[in-house]
Amino acid sequence: MTVNIIQAALLGLFACLASMPGLGGTSIGNYTLGRPLVAGLVVGLILGNVTLGIIVGTAIQVVYIALVTPGGTVSADVRAACYIGIPLAMIAIMNNPALAADPTGSEAAATATALGATCGTLGAILFYGTSTINLAWQAMGWKWLEKGDTHKLYLVDMVLPWISHIICSFIPTFLLVYIGGDAVSNVLNSLPMDSIPMKTLFAVGSLLPCVGIAILLKQVITKATDWLTFFFGFTLAAVMGCNLIACSAIACFFALITFELSTIKTKLDSVRTSGAALTAGDDDEEEEDI
Amino acid sequence: MADYAKKVSKKALAKSFRNWYYGNLTCFSQEHMQTFGYLVSMLPVIEDLYDKKEDQTRALQTYSAFFNTEPQIGTMIVGVTVGLEEARANGEAIDDDTINGIRAGLMGPLAGIGDSLIVGTLIPILLGIAMGLSEGGSPLGAIFYIVVWNLLAYFGMRFAYYRGYDLGGAAVEALVGPSATALREAITTVGTMVIGGVAATWVSISTALTLPGGGTLQGTLDGIYPKLLPLIFTVFCWWLMAKKKMSPIITMLILLVIAFLGACCGFFGAATIASVA
Repeated sequence: MTVNIIQAALLGLFACLASMPGLGGTSIGNYTLGRPLVAGLVVGLILGNVTLGIIVGTAIQVVYIALVTPGGTVSADVRAACYIGIPLAMIAIMNNPALAADPTGSEAAATATALGATCGTLGAILFYGTSTINLAWQAMGWKWLEKGDTHKLYLVDMVLPWISHIICSFIPTFLLVYIGGDAVSNVLNSLPMDSIPMKTLFAVGSLLPCVGIAILLKQVITKATDWLTFFFGFTLAAVMGCNLIACSAIACFFALITFELSTIKTKLDSVRTSGAALTAGDDDEEEEDI
Repeated sequence: MADYAKKVSKKALAKSFRNWYYGNLTCFSQEHMQTFGYLVSMLPVIEDLYDKKEDQTRALQTYSAFFNTEPQIGTMIVGVTVGLEEARANGEAIDDDTINGIRAGLMGPLAGIGDSLIVGTLIPILLGIAMGLSEGGSPLGAIFYIVVWNLLAYFGMRFAYYRGYDLGGAAVEALVGPSATALREAITTVGTMVIGGVAATWVSISTALTLPGGGTLQGTLDGIYPKLLPLIFTVFCWWLMAKKKMSPIITMLILLVIAFLGACCGFFGAATIASVA
């Protein structure tokens, strides 16, 4: 499997749209095209193998299930994970006889995860590059705003950042998928499947999704009992064989109970405070109130 | 809402919303973040309210103060300031400091709510379901996510924008009040539970070690609790990041070292993978 110039250019274009300060906008760009699962579909369509694209995208998606960028600090770049990592992983899997024989197997998934996470991590430099170049457009924007040239703000916000993205998204993606595919395939194919480097690759690929889950847990777990909620969901899927739609349905039911309970608690609190106020005032009225 | 002589036209509101919906982060930099997105979303409103060019420029300069929040839920702040700007154009005593005070006061709390609710809960739930639908390489899950997320994002943001414009500060009250807190906790419960399901479904770690008396270590572990290794490693990663304050990159490097050592001593091996597949 090789990538031609048009395919590489298309991948470069999607990288421009999908990145964190991306030109597709936040909702369509970063949160849709920048999710590896969706990118798997897009890359699959571009490279002509949707099934493999989705398989690879899904594997990488677990690592990036909760990509939060609080205050603009990033540990991973979605454009690199999605539009460099997914194509490279697809090429590597297709060009490796053992992996290509079983693309739905865990070895292929682990290879995809390891490659995607590597690209995503190294790609953080692209994020900082883009936002640094954008500073130049913003400096021009301040001058225009001072002069009352308000319409040029559109240029600053929506047009000039394309230059940042051609430098930091299009060119790196184009070059890496156009040239890098062979290099990655050659390295992988030169190593026997049961060698230590390959075993390490498969093992780290299977371990990396834990980081994605843990990033999310860091956010939602605020007290020790929250672990029970997590273990409950884990047990539903691991032991009771529920799929995620079933898990969601059960989770919604428990959320309803939680909601009702906290609503009652709030009501009780307000009754208690107003009750206390009434006791201080008039005892008869308090009884009526109850 | 007061009946002002000067009202922002429907067209200007729609354009302002579109500019925010699309352009909130397109010109991001570490220094100004969403400031330029904010400027272009206020521009149609200000042009509509003020006839003179110098008034427009002066009004627009109010919004050159730093701004950053969660772009989806934060749409409400844009709506609120459109309402404030309208009041100011009608001669109400609202100065730059008032508007920027409100903006700065809202962006932090709404960013917190938005990050935990949208990025930390809604998107992972949708992706979890979508990954299930896409199992084996079907595009169905990806399409499901594209459709559902974009409908929710577009109409949710539209709702937040007009809600902020119509109700002003009261709109935000509804997001931070006691019943909203209860609802948020409930939604977080769904998120936490579903992420447990995602972990059990999509993380597969197994060991290749055989036990001296015959049988495999994996078999013994499965007897204790299925998917015990994914659970242990997930909690371990959480511990590294939450308790040891390590960055995700360092955590990944630690996993790389563990994978290498495990491959060397036979804990991880190709045989495992073959048996799983």
